[in-house]
Amino acid sequence: MGASISKMMNKIFGSKEMRLLMLGLDAAGKTTILYKLKLDQDVTTIPTVGFNVETVTYKNTKFNVWDVGGQDKIRPLWRHYFSGMLGAHNSVPGTQGLIFVIDSNDRDRIDEARTELTRIIQDREMKDALLLVFANKQDLQGAMRPKEVSDKLQLEKIAKDHVWKVEPSCATTGEGIFEGLAWLSNNVKLPAAK
Amino acid sequence: MAEVMAQRNGSAAGQAILQRQTSFSSFPPSRSPSSISTRNDNKKGRSPQPPMLREDEVSLYSSHPHSRNSSLSAPRATKSKGPRKLRSQYPADSVENHVEYILVASFDIDRGSVMEHQYPGPISGDETMLAELMLPDQAHVRSQDWTIFFLHKDTSAEDEEKEARRERRRKRRRRKEGLEDDDATAGAEEDGKGEDNDEETDETDDDDLDDESEEEEDDIDGPPLVYVLNLVNTKQDNTVKRGAIVKAMAVCTRHSFLHIYKPLLLLALEEYFRAPIIETLASLYNAVNAMDLSLMPKLSILEGFILQASDAKDMFIEKFDQMIQQRMAEDAERDSLPSAASSGSDPRRPGNYAPPRDTHEFESRVNYNGIPVPIKVPTALSAETVGDFSLIKLIQTFSAPHSQQPQPFALHPHLTTSGAYTHPIIVLVNALLTQKRIIFLGHNRPSSEVAEAVLGACALASGGLLRGIVRHAFPYTDLTKIDDLLKVPGFIAGVTNPAFSHKPEWWDLLCDLPTGRMKISHRIEGAPVTEGLLYFQQQGSLLNGANGATPGPDSKSGAADPTGDTQFMDGLLQSIANRHGENAIRAKWRSWILKFTRIAAAFEETVYGASALYIGSHETEVGAYGVSGHGFVWPDEASRMRELAANVHRVEGWRSTRSYYSFVQDLARRWTKRPVRGIDLHHQHDRLRCLRLTHEQSAAIYLAFARAVEEAGEPSSSTSDVDLGSAVERSLTLSNDPDLQQRQPSEQLQYDTILQLLTVIPESNGGLFYISLGLFHPRQDVRVAVVKLLERIVDHPAGRHFWATLGRFAKLAFFRVKREEVGHGR
Repeated sequence: MGASISKMMNKIFGSKEMRLLMLGLDAAGKTTILYKLKLDQDVTTIPTVGFNVETVTYKNTKFNVWDVGGQDKIRPLWRHYFSGMLGAHNSVPGTQGLIFVIDSNDRDRIDEARTELTRIIQDREMKDALLLVFANKQDLQGAMRPKEVSDKLQLEKIAKDHVWKVEPSCATTGEGIFEGLAWLSNNVKLPAAK
Repeated sequence: MAEVMAQRNGSAAGQAILQRQTSFSSFPPSRSPSSISTRNDNKKGRSPQPPMLREDEVSLYSSHPHSRNSSLSAPRATKSKGPRKLRSQYPADSVENHVEYILVASFDIDRGSVMEHQYPGPISGDETMLAELMLPDQAHVRSQDWTIFFLHKDTSAEDEEKEARRERRRKRRRRKEGLEDDDATAGAEEDGKGEDNDEETDETDDDDLDDESEEEEDDIDGPPLVYVLNLVNTKQDNTVKRGAIVKAMAVCTRHSFLHIYKPLLLLALEEYFRAPIIETLASLYNAVNAMDLSLMPKLSILEGFILQASDAKDMFIEKFDQMIQQRMAEDAERDSLPSAASSGSDPRRPGNYAPPRDTHEFESRVNYNGIPVPIKVPTALSAETVGDFSLIKLIQTFSAPHSQQPQPFALHPHLTTSGAYTHPIIVLVNALLTQKRIIFLGHNRPSSEVAEAVLGACALASGGLLRGIVRHAFPYTDLTKIDDLLKVPGFIAGVTNPAFSHKPEWWDLLCDLPTGRMKISHRIEGAPVTEGLLYFQQQGSLLNGANGATPGPDSKSGAADPTGDTQFMDGLLQSIANRHGENAIRAKWRSWILKFTRIAAAFEETVYGASALYIGSHETEVGAYGVSGHGFVWPDEASRMRELAANVHRVEGWRSTRSYYSFVQDLARRWTKRPVRGIDLHHQHDRLRCLRLTHEQSAAIYLAFARAVEEAGEPSSSTSDVDLGSAVERSLTLSNDPDLQQRQPSEQLQYDTILQLLTVIPESNGGLFYISLGLFHPRQDVRVAVVKLLERIVDHPAGRHFWATLGRFAKLAFFRVKREEVGHGR
């Protein structure tokens, strides 16, 4: 009963539902971003074994955010997540959004990050996905700026078939995080949630 | 094991040794992509052994060369002098370890799940896969979690395993010889001997025929599973990079009662956090393998059934006493021989032995790091019962939402056997019986919870009778194994990742633990049209709700309950509400499964004219004991057809599954060992219970029971007075290794015949009540025969417990008839 009323409200107010997958190298700050979104507070995180998933409502959009562990050995498992949850099902077409988190201070591994991102974004299951890159840890001295990140990731090239954006962020303060979500919400082409 | 091989083969086979290493996988080896598509079209490729449907018995036997061999060897085995010794379930000199491997994995902040240590050696197979299973999803959000998973040996290892088993037997034999010769060094020298012995010589030389036959049982489905119990701890630690350490320790064992190792894992993992070295694993390994279970007597299959069905805490206590006496005699012998005593100070000698307080479990202890950890090991193990789980919890989880607010299921003939509002637990058991793909999902729940649900579901559908379910269960698995999982035709898997719920093409039935709801996938394969279905359609008696006509919620009222499942579930929930306990609930499920298999047998006979589920009907129909007939008993033909029609779909669905084929084979094997064959005790007892019989009819049954028991014993003793005192003692000193083929009357056969009768009448089935009614039979010869029968039962070590629970009224009648008899007869 309660559920059906809220579904009706959603229809009236045009609320959307969006499934997001958040990936990135280990220690990029994915889990911190997730819980900043969810709880709006800075939580101390430890390495994610497997995954975290939370539902976040922001500006009439319900975001179902999946955060998957980033250690190099478990990166091949990422594909299970987007084929597992982002694939077409229940009449919701295609993939909705990929958040890729970069440690802007980790210049040594930016190439590694590019390799991983290339692999994912060019997967067939991802062809309709929006790509949001968080250039995270902007609070640190010497962090790469968004332009540098997009250049080093060669987004012009690897994500040429996608709508993408690089958002500077700082997960611990929340800077840029909600702006990123708003961008996703505004750009998603989706039927309203049933 | 590899060392054994190396010794055997010498240097010549140096290379082969590497290949001989057993390899483990968390998925059964027998999987081919095609098996998915053939999941519901039947008969072939499901069971590792070819299905033996409707083959005559001769071919059944001939396909079991071992049973033939053992029958040949039987005369030789019986020549052994004196009373047979009672054997231990876990002999002290067994080469089988309680625990085969200890593993430690950790979550590396750079590399993810990695295996840190393995003891005594590396367990082959995919290490990363093992490490991932040991570090379940979301281990980082809880400080402690348990998981369970199973390892399958690769099929290539199967032959090697058989070879190793033979080798073990040889070793055991040699050890015995060595002991007799008092020659401690015999083992090494003798290793070369006997290599040329072919299998048959091995078998005949081995006096452990029982062992043999039980090992065979495992072979039917392939090599035994290795059960893995795993504990994972997450410790927040600010001194390490990224603030936490996640480590897991696992024991790999062939014992299905792996939960006994829980306290030890808790201690050992804690110790490993302090000392992360392989010696920590070694000390646990040595401690658990030093656990002494040698005083636990070995029970026959029938004895096991009876022990499980009974609440009596001293059932078969005699066997435990005998084990102790044997041990004390051995001790005395050893002490009198100084040379032997010096050959090894036995650490397992507490000096005084006490019989268990409850014979259902054997108490022992493991000394780990100076801490004596008490351990309780179940005496009788049910098939397909792994670990500790609660059927009550499983049933309640899925019953509460259903009773508060029932939701209709999408209809599927195999599953919704009572329409859209079929009880979820019935849907689950139907799905298990018809080998569907089942997923238990517990998002944000510890993985131990989903594992428990999976193990509970296995036991639910097995009832201790059906097998082949656990082998395809994955108590905990994750998304990364999905490709392998989908290759398994029909599985039960536990997961915590909600991604599974979004993929209805991956499962047929999704059981969501947090909400207590089940969902049938809209992608589920339809039920094929079968001969049986057509048969009942022609009869026009198909009233299965699943077949189109939706009875709607009102049908819950019991007006239409042709399967009887609604009534059964109501009774079951009542039982749970009355706190009857886990054992009572398991017994009820057992009887449900038993009934299902008996209905399936009747169904096959009705539709196909013969049933692979009932062996030996030709013998029971002869009426050797004056009564004939077999199988399930219905009060009348109409109710028979009604019940069969209601079960058409799930019986047909079951007939092409692994559990069906295993069951057919089990029945065939049990038949060869059955003490009395010319009478279907269960059928006759059901007739007493359910039918309105004439005095002559009931007389025939009582006399048949009495004769079956009497004639199984020595012909001489059947006429002599019953010697109350010695009967118990005699039956104890006998072997529990019945002469398989000859079935000569003997005390052992009588003992077993009474056991067989007792398995038919557990307390849930009235106990001795219906037999005791014969004490009031108008015919005096019947009353006297029943008294005699009851006297045999009273003298029987298990029967006396049944007698004890019999009502006072019947007991008074017993003594009255006995007095009358004395008055009349002598």
